[in-house]
Amino acid sequence: MPTFPSVEWFNAIKDLVNNSPEFRQLGTIDAVVGVKVGNKIYELTFEAFELTNVREAAESDLRDMDFWLEQPYEKWQEMLENIKKNGAADLSHTLNTIDLSMPEGFARSYDGYRRDAFYRFNQSLQDFFNASAKIDTQFAGAAAVA
Amino acid sequence: MADTTTIPENLRAVAQQKGWPDDLLQQALAAGATPDQLIGYMNQGVTADQARQVLAGMQGGGAEPSPAILAKAQEKGWPEDLVRQALSMGAAEADLINYMDMGVTAEQARQFMAQGGGGRPQLDLSWMDTPTEWNTRARPTKHGLTLEAINIGKYGEVPDEWPYQTEMPRGAVPIPGVEGMGYSIFQKQEVWSDACARLYEEAIQRRWRPATDVPWESIQPLPDDLERAIDQICTHISEKEQLEADVLGRWEPEISYGYHEVKLYLATTIFENARAAEVFRKRALSNGGGLGVQSTGWAFRAVVDARNFTEMVAIQMVLLDSLTLAQYQFGEAYAKNPAERFIFSHCLQDKARHIAYGITHLKYVMNHRPDRREEVLRYLDKGEMMLLQDDKKDPAVREAFAIYFGGSTAAIADGMQVYRQMRKRHVEQYLARLKWATLDRGERLAPGLRAYLEA
Repeated sequence: MPTFPSVEWFNAIKDLVNNSPEFRQLGTIDAVVGVKVGNKIYELTFEAFELTNVREAAESDLRDMDFWLEQPYEKWQEMLENIKKNGAADLSHTLNTIDLSMPEGFARSYDGYRRDAFYRFNQSLQDFFNASAKIDTQFAGAAAVA
Repeated sequence: MADTTTIPENLRAVAQQKGWPDDLLQQALAAGATPDQLIGYMNQGVTADQARQVLAGMQGGGAEPSPAILAKAQEKGWPEDLVRQALSMGAAEADLINYMDMGVTAEQARQFMAQGGGGRPQLDLSWMDTPTEWNTRARPTKHGLTLEAINIGKYGEVPDEWPYQTEMPRGAVPIPGVEGMGYSIFQKQEVWSDACARLYEEAIQRRWRPATDVPWESIQPLPDDLERAIDQICTHISEKEQLEADVLGRWEPEISYGYHEVKLYLATTIFENARAAEVFRKRALSNGGGLGVQSTGWAFRAVVDARNFTEMVAIQMVLLDSLTLAQYQFGEAYAKNPAERFIFSHCLQDKARHIAYGITHLKYVMNHRPDRREEVLRYLDKGEMMLLQDDKKDPAVREAFAIYFGGSTAAIADGMQVYRQMRKRHVEQYLARLKWATLDRGERLAPGLRAYLEA
């Protein structure tokens, strides 16, 4: 059972979406997306119809990403548990709703243009996280990413 | 006669290479062929045997006319020898009968055949020697065979100025005498965005279908005030998306063919505007409600009146589309059913692409024509003021969003707080995007918009 957050966990989702006709049906997605959970940062590289690479990254790498998603560990866990329970995010837990609920935003970037990739590929990203409903996730706990 | 026909030396030289004997050349020249035509046939690969067959046909060796065509010819006044001649030149009986029924006279048919007609085309083929860049082999990428993938060599050179008034594709060879098509934009900086080819492919790949993709069956009856609110929102959005399609449609024929990537991308934008106009109209008419009141249209006017492409882009595709994007984002978050959630979230993606074009165009202008900075800032001054006129004069849109966000007319005060957050987000993102394009609104931001930031 992959642990969130970890490269192994993201690779498990990668395998699901890269073999998903539904994900492909949403169209091309070209973006380098960061996921920041506490002090852990992961870089996801989407290219054409698939997620091509997952790696652990450093704070200094954020500047080179199109944008990154950041919220407290507890909120990540809540979001993923909601997805697992409903098969997909309910209205209170979509990437978009979470983005609106945070004054500083869920999707952040050093670049006012590249941040808009969050909107342009929003449904592909949502589908990516929704795919986590198909796996069992073990949570590392807040202390592991503090 | 044929024996005495002189064979030019250049014709003889080609004939020797291609295996056409002298007697055949003399026969063909005697039949009326010119040396250049014969060289052309040989270069196309016509063999000596094939040439002999053609000549035999011209001398009466064609198919025997059927009784049907002879009867038709008699009826229409075509002499039998004319029919035989046409058949010998390769014409089909059915075609000849058609020509007769269409009213082609015997005299017209004779003239046509004298010019080389009758089924065997006179080939020119000089176009095959056109000096375009040849041997181009574009290869598909992970994204397929994209516009960027075919921008190879000369075909990928986007000139700063396009010198042609016609619809000639970039990389083709112009011919003299073609009429101008009335384009008015011939400078790259007037329309270009470094992202437009990618945005075009993205728009094509990420398309969706309102009629069948939206889960329409998920819409359940809503309280009357909520239904009226969403229907008013739909009326407003449908109206402004249609207007954007109209405006962009007017600019398309102004852009010359040197910048086809822009023309193609704008075509997808127009399609997406139409799709949004369609889907919001469908939502308004799908749950027992109907349309609401029209918009006051002040901001629309600023776009329609734009005399310059960059002016239109700055106001429509950066200022106004940033507001529409914020409306879509909040619309999804407060959707009352999966259908509305789907509609807002998918229009959100499309709208973000429109903004991406708008802001990358402004950045291109700033990088290549920094002297236009003040001009662009003035366009934004005007657009912001007109948008604020809508705020003053159009309570319907503001109140409808507030009721939708609040959940009822009774909760409109709560909804109005969300509405102000939406407007704040619009202004924040509008400024962030402009900053990326090196445009700083600073003190010039309209006070009415600044007020949203301070809310």
